[in-house]
Amino acid sequence: MLIALPDGSRREIAGDIARIEDILKQLCINPEEVIVAKNGRIVSEEETAGGSDELKIVRFVHGG
Amino acid sequence: MLNDAEKKRYSRQIRLFGEDGQERLLRTSVFIAGAGGLGSVISLYMAAAGFGKIRICDCDTVELSNLNRQILHGSADVGRAKAKSAYESLTDINPEIEVEALLETISEENVDQLLQGCDIIMDAMDNFPVRYLLNRAALQRKIPLFHGAISGYQGQATTIIPGKTACLACIFPRAPPASVFPALGSTCGVIGSIQVTEAVKYVTGTGKLLENRLLFWDGLNGCLDEMACERNSACRECRDS
Repeated sequence: MLIALPDGSRREIAGDIARIEDILKQLCINPEEVIVAKNGRIVSEEETAGGSDELKIVRFVHGG
Repeated sequence: MLNDAEKKRYSRQIRLFGEDGQERLLRTSVFIAGAGGLGSVISLYMAAAGFGKIRICDCDTVELSNLNRQILHGSADVGRAKAKSAYESLTDINPEIEVEALLETISEENVDQLLQGCDIIMDAMDNFPVRYLLNRAALQRKIPLFHGAISGYQGQATTIIPGKTACLACIFPRAPPASVFPALGSTCGVIGSIQVTEAVKYVTGTGKLLENRLLFWDGLNGCLDEMACERNSACRECRDS
């Protein structure tokens, strides 16, 4: 699974299918600060990902 | 019908969407939530474009540290209510439209009253709890909400059409932790301008809206990116709409 991280770097992670929530935990990313797209589509933390999925993790902002 | 002065004032954009489009803008009543960084850009461009009625709401006074980005307000406005300087700037840029500037805190208690008579909502807030209030009000009234947010060089925008697109809570189910955010005027310029462009397209029926698409601006690397989103059937806010 290929993961694009909020800092712009990319990381390949091998392993079984996992919940997005657990993947974020593994990457030490606070789920409250990011949204995650799986294969280009925003998904909730309850979704799972693995295999050839591509995840993109983006830090969203709240200022105005 | 546009009068001669209106035909002249808006001539360069009438080329884009015709006199009919301009008349639609003039008939549109806008609520702008906030007169800060995003609210400055949004309100100035909406006033200049001839949105006929602008209601802008902010509870704060102008501080010196606002002036790097909040271009509605000038140095002489420090200490004055943002609503007052907003009113002056907007009526100066376009005296032909109706401007209402309210010194109010947007809350669950007054949001319905503040939105009375408005056709569209522009999100220029600096926090998610009030954004969720606006989102709920947009869903109830079935009027669009044009979302934008910034921090530093980064920003995001999307267009929410009740009953058609993901709502704000579908995309952002929970608010990020509150924090003091860095702010650059030009980032407000990018995101606020995208929001106004969306509103113009919506009202005039032109182009393709940012529906079910969340646009990201990364000014530090000069990149635009987008993510697809969809309605969440379990969304606490819009599942019944």
